[in-house]
Amino acid sequence: MARKRPRGEDESAQFAFSRRSFLKTAGVGAAASTVVGVAATATSAPVVLGPDAVSLTLKVNGTAQKVTVEPRVTLLEALRDHLDLTGAKLVCDRGSCGGCTVLLDGEPIDSCLMLAADAEGHEVTTVEGLGSPDHLSPVQRAFVEKDAMQCGFCTPGFVVAATALLAKNPRPSVEQMKEGLAGNLCRCGTYGRIFEAVQAAARAKRG
Amino acid sequence: MQEEPRTKPPMVKVTVKAGLASAPQVREVEIPQDDIEPWDLDSWAKFRHMGKPLARFEAPLKVTGRAKYTYDVKLPGMLYGRMIGAAIPAGEVVSVDTSRAEALPGVKAVWTAEQKIIRFAGQDVAAVAAVSPQVAEDAARLVKVTYKERPFTPELRAAMKPDAPLVYADAENPAGRDVPHQGNVAGPRPSRRGGDGRGDVEKALGEADATIEASYYCPVHTHSCLETHGVVASWEGDQLTIHASTQGIFAVREGVADALGIDRKNVRVFCEHMGGGFGSKLGPSATGSAFSVVACRLAKMAGAPVRLMLDRQQEQLCTGNAPSALITVKAGAKKDGTLTAVHYVSHGSAGISPGAGTAGPASSLYTGNPNFKAEEYDVFTNAGPSAPLRAPGHSQGAFGLESAIDELADKLGIDPLEFRKKNESSPVRRAQYDPGAKAIGWERRNQKPGDMSTGQWGTLPPTRKRGLGVANGNWYVFANENTGAQVKVHRDGSVEVFTGCQDIGSGFRTAMAIVAAEELGLDPSGVTIRLGDTQFPQGPASGGSTTTNSVAPAVRLAANHARAQVLALAAPMLGVKPEELSAADGKIFVAASPDRAVGFKQAAAKMSGEVIDAVARRPKQYEPVRHDLAGTQFAEVEVDTDTGNVRVVKMVSVNDCGLPVNPLTTESQIIGAMIQGASWALLENRILDANVGTMVNPNLEWYKILTPSDMFEAQVILTPIANLANNTSTAGIGEPPIVPTLAAIANAVYNATGVRVRELPLTPDRVLTALSQARRA
Repeated sequence: MARKRPRGEDESAQFAFSRRSFLKTAGVGAAASTVVGVAATATSAPVVLGPDAVSLTLKVNGTAQKVTVEPRVTLLEALRDHLDLTGAKLVCDRGSCGGCTVLLDGEPIDSCLMLAADAEGHEVTTVEGLGSPDHLSPVQRAFVEKDAMQCGFCTPGFVVAATALLAKNPRPSVEQMKEGLAGNLCRCGTYGRIFEAVQAAARAKRG
Repeated sequence: MQEEPRTKPPMVKVTVKAGLASAPQVREVEIPQDDIEPWDLDSWAKFRHMGKPLARFEAPLKVTGRAKYTYDVKLPGMLYGRMIGAAIPAGEVVSVDTSRAEALPGVKAVWTAEQKIIRFAGQDVAAVAAVSPQVAEDAARLVKVTYKERPFTPELRAAMKPDAPLVYADAENPAGRDVPHQGNVAGPRPSRRGGDGRGDVEKALGEADATIEASYYCPVHTHSCLETHGVVASWEGDQLTIHASTQGIFAVREGVADALGIDRKNVRVFCEHMGGGFGSKLGPSATGSAFSVVACRLAKMAGAPVRLMLDRQQEQLCTGNAPSALITVKAGAKKDGTLTAVHYVSHGSAGISPGAGTAGPASSLYTGNPNFKAEEYDVFTNAGPSAPLRAPGHSQGAFGLESAIDELADKLGIDPLEFRKKNESSPVRRAQYDPGAKAIGWERRNQKPGDMSTGQWGTLPPTRKRGLGVANGNWYVFANENTGAQVKVHRDGSVEVFTGCQDIGSGFRTAMAIVAAEELGLDPSGVTIRLGDTQFPQGPASGGSTTTNSVAPAVRLAANHARAQVLALAAPMLGVKPEELSAADGKIFVAASPDRAVGFKQAAAKMSGEVIDAVARRPKQYEPVRHDLAGTQFAEVEVDTDTGNVRVVKMVSVNDCGLPVNPLTTESQIIGAMIQGASWALLENRILDANVGTMVNPNLEWYKILTPSDMFEAQVILTPIANLANNTSTAGIGEPPIVPTLAAIANAVYNATGVRVRELPLTPDRVLTALSQARRA
């Protein structure tokens, strides 16, 4: 799952269970600097947020938006419950299924494992930002054509992960797709179709 | 579409071309007089849309995150509900102190369960509703429950011991008075489909040239729906609206209305999209929780809508599971491979509920075998009640039976495929073996199991062993006749179809558009499907592979009624009688001279009102060509003898699928079943701690399901059959392809290694243990 942490070499055990309770009253800025290495605040004194709601500015799908949330609110919860972007889903609640995958500065992350406060200053792209039903992205179009979904609950996460994979590797082999999408789970059993879709999207993008 | 006694309608006989496309048979079927002439093999050749692959309609919404699931529904002023489950596996709730939770700012309602006896960890104890998910979680933590604990027994084999703690006191035993029981074991129940069996099994085993006896163990598999169970409940006066992640909106309506003591007419249930069910979402809530009713109560108490979704741990504990099973098979055959006896005994655990039954495949495969007996026992354990899971009991049962059949063939030195062919009772499966064998390359298998030099594998490292396996599966032709459909043709020629059924993810919505379009002579894109609303004509639950073949005939019949009215409008425009007309490609034309045509829209514009409104009830099921759905599967695996890791390389599934409406989504379902089955065979295992009785892996991290990196080549071969059980000759496909998967993989592992692993999942520890035992022996 290291792939989901863009600056993941510094994964503190603290962070692993901190998401709800630990940061409730603690210095969120300091914790953030440990976890995602926000260089700007790393050297300054800890910023204490909460426990009351704080105002944050999140840049989501190219637009800066203000949300007022408790500091313990995750990026996923902020997107879903406060910005009405419900494409990303909570499935496992602990970073093992990829259902909540969004792009943070172009890198896929599990938004259930990141506090909304830690996403400030970063570019967040959700599945809604990749395309709309009338203007599908190449990956989205390929998912439609290859039937790379059944119930569809994991699909937004896979679309985002596949988009990130193709941005890095425009011609992934089957083994590379297995590796690149390994952090996402589907229960209906669509992996085979997803591989077909990713390869079709790769072909379409190459033209 | 209220249920009422149906008297046998007047019947008429029609001649059709039925059966396998490769072996058509002219046949007379009796159909109800008010039905239409059924689609048969001749129709199949002429279809414009049926049987042609079509991308599912809701796909653009799903790939862009716009599809709204229950979990995504947000109503003004909505609160967030949270269930609180029992922390102990057995005992009694002494007290529930909710005072601190109630005092927490933001908490709007608190509920506590009336049931005080606890029989599994995770059973409903209390619930809260609060202004945010975070506050609801805080409040749940503040609810203090005091228990009086009792001894418990969470695992099947331990629960069978005579001194095991009792899950139920004698008088409470839910197995039924007519079923004998001792300790936690109830049975034998006569096999549900095998009756009391046939012939004399003991005698036949004594006379057989070769016999085997072996026991197989299959663990509990949890459904692990990615969208957890949940509802959004809101009241407006006495009107209750529920958005539910469900496989049966009418089951939710019935269950909630009954529990609350309100009229069904005052409850409306919606399900537009749902994130997986696999059998666990057929009831009003879940088999081990009443969360839907609780959510409605919380909403009533708080005077605000409540969204209550279970969390992942709760999903693992109380929403059902596929029972574990300990299956013992004795089987005998003659030297020439004729199967002469099967004695099948299954001890299954559905947790606290009865009905683990796994004998289905045993009683309906190899029906030519003259001596057969099946006995099914329930073993109660302190674990959440089971729920149907894709072909309930059949994957476990086929794992036992088809492993045993393999062992018997091996003992006789007969190729396991040849053995199956020799004893095959289904003409459909007989036609399926060769295409499947060809697709997997059956000739490559190790002639001597475990000896790679007797197979054709090219160059592989010495620690990588490959092998091939085959196994059979079966399911049944079921339909729910209490099904209706409504078709509206508007004056602008636009068309809507209404069905009170839900799309579980099978592509149901798109399939119904294809059926309506075929009948109306339109393109499927011109048909809008409205579904998942109890205000629409009653639809079946999405389960048992019944959805398509229950609803499609009603949709076709309603579309046919609408078509007749549009043809009547077109007739004067073309100066002919309506019966001289036909419809296709958006046009209505004179059948004898297709150039004389008007557009469907032009004809519709002549209607006197605003809408042609046609309603139909699903016609009664006909006497079909086949009562079962046959399938067979082949697997290629690679076993790493150093690490014990088993990898599926390829699977081939050959399935009877009726006349497939949309092969694209049909094949997707079959591939999905192979993946879910492979996941069960290789990885999945619910582990309940013997010491504390709670689940060790109530998540998706240690409860392993197959990931993209485990994906194998999956090939589907459809065996289209005009079964003539209904006017569309469609069938369901959700269940059949998961039935043989476990056994096909286990049999392939045997062919690769020469070692039989009789307990699933085929994890490295089990494989290495079996390999080392075999070396010692």
